[in-house]
Amino acid sequence: MAKAKSTAATRSNISGWRQYKALLKKDIAQELRTKEMVTSMGLYGMLVLVIYYIALSQAGTGFDITLIAAGLLLLMIVFTSMLGLNRSLIHEHDQGQLEALLLAPIDRPIIFLAKATTNFLFLAIVQVVVVPFFYVMFVSSSPGIIRGDVDPGPWWMLALILFLGSIGIAGVGTLLATISVNSKGRDFILAVLFIPVMYPLLLVLVAALTAVITGGSGFEATFWQMCAAAAAYNAVVIAVAFALYDYILGV
Amino acid sequence: MSKLQEFAKSFTQKRELQITIVLAIFGAILTTAAFVMAFTSANMQYHDTTVTVDYLLEDKGALLAPPAQQVGVDEGFVYITPWFSQKIFYFHVPIAQLSLVVFSLAAIFGIIFLRTRNPNYDLRSRIAMETTLIFTLGTMITGSLWTRASWLNSWGELGSTLLSEPRLVTYTVMLMFVVAYFVLRKSVEGEEKKATYSAVFAILAWIIVPFSFLYTRLTQEAAAHPTDAVNTGMDPSNLLPFIVCIFGMMMLGYAIYILRVAEEKKRTQLEEIKETIEDSLSKASKAKGVNATNQYSAAVVLNKTSEKQSSDSAQSASKDGGE
Repeated sequence: MAKAKSTAATRSNISGWRQYKALLKKDIAQELRTKEMVTSMGLYGMLVLVIYYIALSQAGTGFDITLIAAGLLLLMIVFTSMLGLNRSLIHEHDQGQLEALLLAPIDRPIIFLAKATTNFLFLAIVQVVVVPFFYVMFVSSSPGIIRGDVDPGPWWMLALILFLGSIGIAGVGTLLATISVNSKGRDFILAVLFIPVMYPLLLVLVAALTAVITGGSGFEATFWQMCAAAAAYNAVVIAVAFALYDYILGV
Repeated sequence: MSKLQEFAKSFTQKRELQITIVLAIFGAILTTAAFVMAFTSANMQYHDTTVTVDYLLEDKGALLAPPAQQVGVDEGFVYITPWFSQKIFYFHVPIAQLSLVVFSLAAIFGIIFLRTRNPNYDLRSRIAMETTLIFTLGTMITGSLWTRASWLNSWGELGSTLLSEPRLVTYTVMLMFVVAYFVLRKSVEGEEKKATYSAVFAILAWIIVPFSFLYTRLTQEAAAHPTDAVNTGMDPSNLLPFIVCIFGMMMLGYAIYILRVAEEKKRTQLEEIKETIEDSLSKASKAKGVNATNQYSAAVVLNKTSEKQSSDSAQSASKDGGE
């Protein structure tokens, strides 16, 4: 069946890149009209920050938040991305878009790549908005930073880690969201499948983030080591997800 | 009726059952032999780098070796000769290793299912995952016994060691994978969809196996969980029960696996036979002209019409009375 699709695509002379662009355009146009993904994810991220504020409100002035800031940031990203992934394929499923896409002369791997890209884009947009808030609310006001004891790494290091993390989350998350949207308990199933698969990546990311936020001597070594590990994990898992996506479409 | 005959024939063959019984008996004998050897012939190893050292000098009561066997002070360190943690080693390690092997089997059968679309391989993948669940729980039970003997962090006093030890958390994630696999199977409708999704998830979940294996070997912080038992060399008296136990556990695991696969195959056969019997029954009744359900609905219709008639007559009677 997949073969028939690809021959149909080559017959109609639509290159993979054009198919990819068309799918991306479709998702972005849908988002520009409804604005539901970015709004709900951003709002949810901000609400998580408010909950952090409440949770830490009794910690006192001596509490060094830089030690746990990486974990808090990652928690926010995981929650937000799960919300987004849950919603990312709802239209495809409920309005029969997925069947239409399968009928259209489009290669199946391109459906995966386009969906993963849009998920990554939305996650990146939300992070660009929410992470500065997180930094201002929690990290910049911590006693270590004010006194100058803690010397965080440059901002591009933070951006690189979040970039690697978002790639992994979007890549694997798209596969798992496609599975969960076709099951009975959607949100719950996504959480049950997503968090164990993400576990190695999250461990690596939190190590790299902690190295950057707390700084100190020789933090670059840890940082690059962990970035390499995250990149390796992403490469392996996304390759597997890419290969397996063909099988779960249209069964 | 030929299916029914096949079914009856497969019971007379009983090949799976024979293999299972032989494997189970041998497995049980070997495991018991390892158990006996562990408590009788195995020497105590107390070198600091082996897995068998209880390095905390608190009172552990019955978990320690008898006073006569204590080695006492050696090169400035005070050792207590291990007793219980030495014994649990022969069971904990084989079960843990086999759980990883069976988990890998589930992923391999998942790959074969996706290539061939043969439901038999989906069944095998599922049963392998069930066996993984048994072995994973066994690892956790024996591991927590060892924890109590060796780290002094029992379930009664959950110490920081237990909650932050990387190997334990990684292994818990593996248990979560296995549970998630069955949760996924429950919540997907349609046989082919269910089989495909769970095969995909089993393959993706396999990533935890190399991660769990390598994590404690590559990172420095994982000092609490011993990993270098085999590298530092085991005493021959220790190695023998260890290997015997590995083979015994393998046989037991394989027996469980074969038995469950045979059971599930029989169950699907039985369902098919039920369907064919139902089909032939309905055909036979159709040939007679009256279906069982038709009979029932006819009875209902008759009842209703008679009720209607009686109410009509009652109404007319009341009308008559009124007039």
